[in-house]
Amino acid sequence: MSAYAKPVEVLIDELGRLPGVGPKSAQRIAFHLLKVDAVDTQRLADALQDMKRLVTFCDRCFNIAEDTAKGVKDREVIDLTLGDSDTSLVPGSAGKVLCSICTDSNRDSKVICVVEEPKDVQAIERTGGYKGLYHVLLGVINPLDGVGPEQLKIKELAHRVAAEDIQEVVLCTNPNLEGETTSAFIASKVLAPFGVKVTRLASGLPVGGDLEYADEITLGKALEGRLTMS
Amino acid sequence: MIIRQLSLHNFRSYSDAQFYLAEGLNVVVGPNGIGKTNIVEAICYLSRLKSFRGAPTANLIAKGTQSAVIRAIGERQGREVLIEAEISSGRSKVLVNKQVLKRTKDLLGALQVTVFAPDDLMLIKEGPSGRREYLDDLALALDPNLEPTFSSLDRTLKQRNSLLKQISYKPDEGELATLDVWDKRFAETGEKVVALRRSLVADLVPLINQAYQRLTTTDQVVGLAYQQSWDGELFEAVQKARELDIRRKVTTQGPHRDELLITLNGFESRNEASQGEQRSLALSLKVAAHQLLFQRLGEPPLLLLDDVLSELDDDRAVGLLNNLPKGQTLITSATEIPNLVVPDNVITEFDSLSEADHG
Repeated sequence: MSAYAKPVEVLIDELGRLPGVGPKSAQRIAFHLLKVDAVDTQRLADALQDMKRLVTFCDRCFNIAEDTAKGVKDREVIDLTLGDSDTSLVPGSAGKVLCSICTDSNRDSKVICVVEEPKDVQAIERTGGYKGLYHVLLGVINPLDGVGPEQLKIKELAHRVAAEDIQEVVLCTNPNLEGETTSAFIASKVLAPFGVKVTRLASGLPVGGDLEYADEITLGKALEGRLTMS
Repeated sequence: MIIRQLSLHNFRSYSDAQFYLAEGLNVVVGPNGIGKTNIVEAICYLSRLKSFRGAPTANLIAKGTQSAVIRAIGERQGREVLIEAEISSGRSKVLVNKQVLKRTKDLLGALQVTVFAPDDLMLIKEGPSGRREYLDDLALALDPNLEPTFSSLDRTLKQRNSLLKQISYKPDEGELATLDVWDKRFAETGEKVVALRRSLVADLVPLINQAYQRLTTTDQVVGLAYQQSWDGELFEAVQKARELDIRRKVTTQGPHRDELLITLNGFESRNEASQGEQRSLALSLKVAAHQLLFQRLGEPPLLLLDDVLSELDDDRAVGLLNNLPKGQTLITSATEIPNLVVPDNVITEFDSLSEADHG
């Protein structure tokens, strides 16, 4: 039934599984790759493999991190020394992979900002106004998708608050039903016993926007959370 | 808003048709199957962007054509308003005064309608869900900003039920803690919705009595009672019922189990009222909602009565039509209306193709 050679069929199928790529786009990409030099496809293949091999989740905050232990080695070498303990290569890290934020000594290690996904870390980093650490949950409580607290990095957050000297946890989940519920769960069920200060991201108006264009709910939230000026 | 002129293009049975409407009572008279209800459906679509009969959008487009167009020229506070809807199998769009609406929500309120169709008898005869929906729809028509409250309650309930299905008979501490959080949210939103419904019921009681008594020319008393399905605070009730919920794997307490009890002289209307009384009650519920919208919004919604006369005797038909709320009304009927009623406009021509198209 397949109209193309098997390898092309397989590639189209694989590409078609990517988010935002439909059958037509998958086909176009596959035929493009068929035309280009082998060097170019190799570079793409390497990039994909390196990403999976070298990028991992930070053992502390679950943000994405580069596994430098593997990165310093040559590809051939690592294949030969597979099973070798990585700890010897980076002294002091005890085999743990930490992200660039967790290893940055300039960050305020007393504040943790809790977000849903690594991309949310990037969003908050772009503000340039936050100097603390992060904790990525890797999802939200969503029973309809079968996700409960156990599937998230909530236990790990509790461990961090217990073990590290944390003074404030800022809950930055999305302001929708599941995000709010997750934040409520963390605040009331997980962090309450520690007596740590727990704050929630405010909801309000976009800067530079016009009141008249704001939707009623956002405007209502902004009114609820108004600030005293004098 | 008052509709002055309605044009239909490839809409259901109409390839091209124009109807002129008057400000008061418009009567559409014609034999069965000629397309009277289609006119009601078209006006209703301009208000809600869906069929009041629950028909799929594809059914609204005339067979063998790509898209249907409904155009209404109306008047609001002395200014002309043009609402156009293009219905196609792909994306339908609406334009108000030639401006495309970005969100369908923006349309809400441009044209308010109250519809009564024979199926609305189910309001009285069937289970409580239709009556809850009647209250919730009315609350939304009065204040579209409440939409997130209702959808949030709906989703919280779905999430909680989904969690209950995953929980084992002997739930662990983590599962119970998660349930706690959903309970709290469910209770908060649930109490809000119940408060809204209760205040609506209080507002409706005098209006429904007035509507019913005028319609039937009796002095029977209609009672509306909001029956909450739990006692005390919702949060406590939900927590108390936890074991039961886990066993049944469904949320047993909450506004989704409430009832709006409708009585006639103290007797429950669902089981004890006659067929005719039930019809009059259903109609009165709609008229009362219509009156409340008028009171609150300062402008009467367009009242659409589809084929109601067939179910009323002449006295009640006169009682209804001569006591209509102020504003524009459109009524369809297969038979001539009673002589005691003087309509402002009668539509008997359903022939397609206006003169311009012959040109």
